[in-house]
Amino acid sequence: MNHPDRLLSFLLFCCSLLPFTAATAQDTLAVDFTSPVNGRDLRLVTGVYHDEDEAFNMQDLASLPFENDTSVFHPRKRPLYHVNNIWLKLTIKNTGAADTSLWFFTGYHDEMEWFTPDGDGGYHSLVRTGLMTDNGNVERWGHYAFPVKAAAGETKTYYLHIVNHRYRENRLMPVLYDALHYAEHRHQYADHFKKEALVIQILIGMLLVLLCITLINYTQLPDRSSLYFAAYVLGLIIFFALRLESKPFQLSFFHYWPMLKYYWDIPAILFCFYLMPLLFGNIFLSLRERFPLMERCYRYGAVLCAVLIVLFLGIFALGEYQVPAMIYSWFHMFSIIPLGISLFALARRTRHHPLIRFFLLGSLSVFLLSLWSFIVHREPVGLNSIQELTAPNYIILLGILAQAMFYAAGLSYRNKLVHQERTKTQEMLIRQLNRNKELQRKLNEQLEELVKEQTTEILRKNQELEEQRKLQLDVEYSKKLAEIELKAIRAQINPHFIFNCLNSIQLFVMQRDYEHAQKYLSDFSYLIRKTLDFSRRNFISLADEITYLNTYLGLEKMRFEQKMSYEIVIDPVIAAAELEVPAMLLQPYVENAVKHGMTNTDHSCGLLMIRFNELESDMLECVIEDNGIGIERSKALRSMPSHHQSSGMEISLNRAELLNKMYNTGIQIEIIDKSSKQASNSGTIIRILIPQL
Amino acid sequence: MIRAIIIDDERNSRDIISLMLGKYCPEIEAVGTAANCREGIEQIRRHKPQLVFLDLEMPDGTGFDVLAGAYDASFEAIFVTAFEKRFLHTIRLSEVELILKPIDKESLLQAVGTVMKRIGQQQQHERYEVLLSNFGKPESDVRQLVLPSSEGPEAVISIDDIYYLEGYTEKTVFYLPDGKVMASRRPFRYYTELFANMRFYQTTNHQMVQVPHIQRIDQEQNKLHLKGDIVLDVTDRRKRELVNIWKQG
Repeated sequence: MNHPDRLLSFLLFCCSLLPFTAATAQDTLAVDFTSPVNGRDLRLVTGVYHDEDEAFNMQDLASLPFENDTSVFHPRKRPLYHVNNIWLKLTIKNTGAADTSLWFFTGYHDEMEWFTPDGDGGYHSLVRTGLMTDNGNVERWGHYAFPVKAAAGETKTYYLHIVNHRYRENRLMPVLYDALHYAEHRHQYADHFKKEALVIQILIGMLLVLLCITLINYTQLPDRSSLYFAAYVLGLIIFFALRLESKPFQLSFFHYWPMLKYYWDIPAILFCFYLMPLLFGNIFLSLRERFPLMERCYRYGAVLCAVLIVLFLGIFALGEYQVPAMIYSWFHMFSIIPLGISLFALARRTRHHPLIRFFLLGSLSVFLLSLWSFIVHREPVGLNSIQELTAPNYIILLGILAQAMFYAAGLSYRNKLVHQERTKTQEMLIRQLNRNKELQRKLNEQLEELVKEQTTEILRKNQELEEQRKLQLDVEYSKKLAEIELKAIRAQINPHFIFNCLNSIQLFVMQRDYEHAQKYLSDFSYLIRKTLDFSRRNFISLADEITYLNTYLGLEKMRFEQKMSYEIVIDPVIAAAELEVPAMLLQPYVENAVKHGMTNTDHSCGLLMIRFNELESDMLECVIEDNGIGIERSKALRSMPSHHQSSGMEISLNRAELLNKMYNTGIQIEIIDKSSKQASNSGTIIRILIPQL
Repeated sequence: MIRAIIIDDERNSRDIISLMLGKYCPEIEAVGTAANCREGIEQIRRHKPQLVFLDLEMPDGTGFDVLAGAYDASFEAIFVTAFEKRFLHTIRLSEVELILKPIDKESLLQAVGTVMKRIGQQQQHERYEVLLSNFGKPESDVRQLVLPSSEGPEAVISIDDIYYLEGYTEKTVFYLPDGKVMASRRPFRYYTELFANMRFYQTTNHQMVQVPHIQRIDQEQNKLHLKGDIVLDVTDRRKRELVNIWKQG
């Protein structure tokens, strides 16, 4: 209940009784300026011209048909559907004895100008003020009472031009005060609005705290719904801060820009109670996933709101302040049902989603409380939905606060959910990570094992290979050795010789010469046996070697009968049984010598001489000498028809080398053609030096 | 009577041959002997024998030297040796008779029989020319081969001409240029040994090709493409070795 208003009404009522009795003339007010004047009602003495077409200006004042029309005045706020452009005329006579001034007050209006005739047909503007134009600080509220000055007995005329653009007009009552009572009235006004201002400031403070919390939260957990909520809160803060601008004698923040409160009035309502909640709800409830249809509706609604906001701002810029209000009224009327449906639909799904409850409660609180406020509001503002916000009504403020709180709580809850989700995800991640680590460890182990296995495998294979190679080398070596040995055996006993021996034995048998056959056969057997025996040994005694050579030469002699003879001479100092010679070293040379000796046609008989000498204490010399054609001629003869080489001798040479290598024996073999020393001589000398160990 | 000459550097050998001839081959009369090549050639020229027993290894030369010195396509030769691997290849290419010492009755009779048949049929044959032309050359360089056919006269072919040979149960078939085909009564095995160190490669168990005649080796299908549009199989195992040999060639 507006206390000062009631008081004021009462006073006005009391005062208004006076003019009817005291006024002498309707047009001129006679007042004793010195007597106290406390809110004297001037409705009946104020000339009114209602300029509906805004066609007049100051110059036409004299011709204006001012009349006494009390219908333009009203003690409370009232809705306005057109621009209210009125001219007031006050003619006043000072009946008192002193020159003093009184104050003429009509209320707070958008544009006001106070002027008086300057005496030469023109007019003199005294004060210009108005909610839309005055950008002074708190002192601007003093401009709304206009001074009425008149000398004693003087009659003065004043004009007041009032223009109201908005959809709502503040109280319009012409009242007169003396200075003292005007001050009292001012204090009453200031006190009256202090309460409202305080509530708004508290609300702004709370909203600022909410804004800060939300922004801090946003930095912690970037989420679009937080941003929308922050925008909603910021819009509310500015809206209410601008509301303070229209509270007389109260602290204001934006008085430098008096037009701001008009621009951010209906757009703010659209912004804060439609656009942002729709966007906020969309993201906050994740409608896109849950209710795609509702998401689409909200989105289109938001787009419509945004378009309307831009449209309204444009219309304001054109100077029209009532059209947006009317459009908004209709918009509001038509939005109630779809909003109600959407809230109902959401309410049915509360169970599915805990966040819906917060959104629903927030939306419903402002929705229902504004409805309640509409019902209980007693200001005669007509059936215009705007009224619910025109005067800051505590019910409405409560609704707004509740909405903000519910939204904030919802956001926190959502953050909690997100946090929980995140924690769960993190836990899962950690679990996964641990599992991965475990897996990695296992894999590593497996890999290591595999590497180890393979390494050992490789090593093993390497070793195997090495062994195999060694084995192969061994095998090859022994094979080679065996081959050489075999070759040596073959070389030692010429197969030709063997078969010729057998041939000879056959002949003796056929000739029935059994004695010879017997002799030949036993010698041959001895030779073969010794050959097999010696071939297994590397060294034999010289005595054995001599016996062997004797047997061999005996057999050869038997083959060739008288065509050859031989002699073996041993130095008597030689202990034949003790000296060691390489087995079968000499035999190939002896065989060769026999062959060469037989080929010389100059001699009828081949002569072979074998001598063993001790050159030094540890050096055995063996000389095999024949009287054949000599090695040079033999070679020449042989090389012609075929490419025969004395394989026996060659192998013997190889064998000497091999022995030298193996036993470090240092055997030297020298082959001398006798003809190279003395031309008349022929034959070959083989000189073999065998060092004794 | 067939007149024969024995040329051997060992008296024992000469004695034993004449002894055995007297005992087992009464139709052959040894009209002379010689202990070396020089004497042998003289004896041949003097006696004009129909058959000559020739020792391969003698102090002043080989049996082939004697043949080269005295051959006028009027006598057959039987070579005698105690142990001689060196000349085996040459002898086998020419399909001449060889007896090994100590001489046994069967091989002597077999050799004499073969030669007697030739003398009886008066077959003039260039086997000795082939022998002499191949003589003294390394194994991989010989050029001519005598094919003892199971029926009809023996033929001399150029070894270079052989594309490939194929073994059958009783014979070996030689594939020559222009689609010519010739058969030998020798088993396939005989030729695989004979050609072992030559430019031949045994591709399957019964086929042997002359490597220079290979034009292309289809490694995927294991096929050989020879000159004259001949396509042969090769076993997978032998293919790789053959490719190497072929590429080196």
